[in-house]
Amino acid sequence: MTDSKYFTTTKKGEIFELKSELNSDKKEKKKEAVKKVIASMTVGKDVSALFPDVVNCMQTDNLELKKLVYLYLMNYAKSQPDMAIMAVNTFVKDLPTSQLVKDCEDPNPLIRALAVRTMGCIRVDKITEYLCEPLRKCLKDEDPYVRKTAAVCVAKLYDISSGLVEDQGFLEQLKELLSDSNPMVVANAVAALSEINESSPTGQPLVELSTSTINKLLTALNECTEWGQVFILDSLSNYTPRDEREAQSICERITPRLAHANAAVVLSAVKVLIKMMEILASDTEFCTTLSKKLAPPLVTLLSSEPEVQYVALRNINLIVQKKPDILKHEMKVFFVKYNDPIYVKLEKLDIMIRLASQANIAQVLSELKEYATEVDVDFVRKAVRAIGRCAIKVEPSAERCVSTLLDLIQTKVNYVVQEAIVVIKDIFRKYPNKYESIISTLCENLDTLDEPEARAIRVYFYCGFRLRDENAQVQLQLLTAVVKLFLKRPQHTQGLVQHVLSLATQDSDNPDLRDRGFIYWRLLSTDPAAAKEVVLADKPLISEETDLLEPTLLDELICHISSLASVYHKPPTAFVEGRSAGVRKTLPARQGSTEEVGVTAEATVIPNQDNLIGDLLSMDLGTTTPAVPAPVSAPTSNVDLLGGGLDVLLGGPDLGGNVAPSTTGLLGDIFGISSSPTMYTPPKTCWLPAEKGKGLEVYGTFSRRAGQISMDMTLTNKAMQAMAGFAIQFNKNSFGPDPRVSSRRSSTPAGPKSRVQPTA
Amino acid sequence: MGVLFSYFKSLIGAREMRILILGLDGAGKTTILYRLQVGEVVTTIPTIGFNVEQVTYKNLKFQVWDLGGQTSIRPYWRCYYSNTDAIIYVVDSADKERMGISKDELFHMLREEELADAILVVLANKQDIPGCMSLKEVHQALGLEALKNRTFQIFKTSATKGEGLDMAMEWLANALKNRK
Repeated sequence: MTDSKYFTTTKKGEIFELKSELNSDKKEKKKEAVKKVIASMTVGKDVSALFPDVVNCMQTDNLELKKLVYLYLMNYAKSQPDMAIMAVNTFVKDLPTSQLVKDCEDPNPLIRALAVRTMGCIRVDKITEYLCEPLRKCLKDEDPYVRKTAAVCVAKLYDISSGLVEDQGFLEQLKELLSDSNPMVVANAVAALSEINESSPTGQPLVELSTSTINKLLTALNECTEWGQVFILDSLSNYTPRDEREAQSICERITPRLAHANAAVVLSAVKVLIKMMEILASDTEFCTTLSKKLAPPLVTLLSSEPEVQYVALRNINLIVQKKPDILKHEMKVFFVKYNDPIYVKLEKLDIMIRLASQANIAQVLSELKEYATEVDVDFVRKAVRAIGRCAIKVEPSAERCVSTLLDLIQTKVNYVVQEAIVVIKDIFRKYPNKYESIISTLCENLDTLDEPEARAIRVYFYCGFRLRDENAQVQLQLLTAVVKLFLKRPQHTQGLVQHVLSLATQDSDNPDLRDRGFIYWRLLSTDPAAAKEVVLADKPLISEETDLLEPTLLDELICHISSLASVYHKPPTAFVEGRSAGVRKTLPARQGSTEEVGVTAEATVIPNQDNLIGDLLSMDLGTTTPAVPAPVSAPTSNVDLLGGGLDVLLGGPDLGGNVAPSTTGLLGDIFGISSSPTMYTPPKTCWLPAEKGKGLEVYGTFSRRAGQISMDMTLTNKAMQAMAGFAIQFNKNSFGPDPRVSSRRSSTPAGPKSRVQPTA
Repeated sequence: MGVLFSYFKSLIGAREMRILILGLDGAGKTTILYRLQVGEVVTTIPTIGFNVEQVTYKNLKFQVWDLGGQTSIRPYWRCYYSNTDAIIYVVDSADKERMGISKDELFHMLREEELADAILVVLANKQDIPGCMSLKEVHQALGLEALKNRTFQIFKTSATKGEGLDMAMEWLANALKNRK
């Protein structure tokens, strides 16, 4: 007896039963069997083995059965790519391509649409080529439902095989659908087109919208369903109008959408309007009325359910940063309700701070004070912090904020006091020598502190002497405080300093603490004056709003309002995988503005200033040594062009032609130079984009002045922080710039968004 | 009485016969299928997959499967063999070059166990094209004389002209009736 008996089973199993039922003659039995198969598929059983048998049930007049088979097909075509080919003819038959017999092309548009949809969902390379012909016919179907489904199918096909779609002229057909008489078709064609544009491998939109198509879209906008409207609005937001007039008319036609009941429509409309407002001059009456119109719909969004509120608030957060004016009178709607979920509360608080101004500060403060007595610890902390931020932001109200904070400290609630002290530290830094009188009050409450950060801060103004049993952060702060104290009052504290420093350097296990101890020790022992300069140096200025988004990022996010990106506050590239980078959206440049917005700067959150220097050094300044360009034709002299070489280029004042070595070695620049003696300077090009320079942007060009090559640079600080102590170094090269000024050190710190223009 | 009973039986109880139309691509399978079904010549495109239609002939109901004949589809013919009552094998009489391939496919198919009981009808199609092979030549080229233990017949047809199909179907209907 062999063991083979274990492999031959007498039990046929479920699959076998289903198989025989599927092959049954009786239609009813067949239908039952397909239903059973679909049921098994839905609960996750693998019924892919039945593929041929199910496909054989495809050709039926029964709509119900057909739908079930299509469902099966969508699910398993991928696992049986070879066998999927057997299904092709059925689609061909269902769709009006087949010239076989009249009744073969199904008269039921539902079936035709179903066939197109399924066809698009079968993501098998092998059969896509067979599907082009049916698809082409469907795009011209008489039934709008079929056309609309076909439009979506094109986008799906593009995802599988972009080349095929382009070769077969489907893009043109889609474009034609934009002028379809049925708004639903237009909306879906728009959706398909924008999908295709976004996934285009070159990053360039494949289909540009023209003025006439925009007009058609605007007409269709009023008639189609809400989701169709969202599609249309989204693609409108990608369109840059030619001039102000056009932008204005688009705005006028979109404004009614703001009254729509669907939040998505409203947000999309807001997005388009904000984008258009970028183009319009902001001081016109039109713009002011438009801003006024934007507020009510946004406010209305806040009366829906909490989830929608949250999404709305995240978007409003962006809008408020971009255009604070829109909602400046609507402070009250952002007041927190007691029954709001915590995520809505925190978001509202954020927006309140952004909206706080001198006009409404009294209201805001009393609200915030109220919040500080709530039960939710996180919310209370944030509320207290908000008070501090108001104090920093609205200077005249600082006194009031401080007194509010003091009131809160009197409550002696542990975490309130801690948070209040943390924010008071910031207030001290912003307004030095103004509120020091409250220190004594603070000190009374210090015993209640147990949060490490708060304790570290308390040392900031209250020099405690316990070093051993504190944690590292507090120890560091203590050490600094003691040294500070010593520098201010050397006569009383010398002993203490020595004690603390020896503790820090000898008894501590913490390398940070030890290092800092040594540094202080050496500083103090070698040059107390220098130590004073180092330790007691001015703190960098507290900026009003520390959590503002970086402007380029903000602009990009504004373009993504009402999408996931605007909720995350991250660009789509940061969380969408599998797509080619796609087109980065940017706000259009305001017309007539001097700002150079043309560069699509990649938005990144600017990291700390500390690592700036290193990155700047890696900036490629090697290009200051341009390759010797081909000699320039010199009409005024008969110099041997080839022999002239360097001298011709650099020296000869008799030479009419001006040479401007291009940084990028672009010969075009050189040949384009006119031979007239007027100085030609190529326009500044971007040498270091802001996102690579951690916020520092360098534009530069080379020019010749008085026979000397000089380099003009514009350094722009696009970061949110001040930038100081950076240097420009020129590598040695044969052309100059003048080695005498080989290194330049900037003496003034470049404030945020400021600009310096050194010339070497 | 017996005649009446069998009449009713044929009217209501008759099982739908399952027939496969096979053959190389471009032999005329789909044309034949629709010629049988609606009696007209239709313009066809290459079948990628299959067509299935119900054909009624002399009170006999046939479920006729027309499978695509392209090389890529031929491997899937075997998925359709089970419960097959008859095979209509279509040959393009004018395509002398591929007669050998056609023969190989035919015998490969007939070796299948599931088709052991199936009746075979070979149609030498496209007889209207001048210079095509005659019935006898086709018979020889396909090596049909080697067939044993199988009910089979060969007919010359022209699907576009509608010639010979009736005769073939008549014979097939009778053969199917007699088998029981």
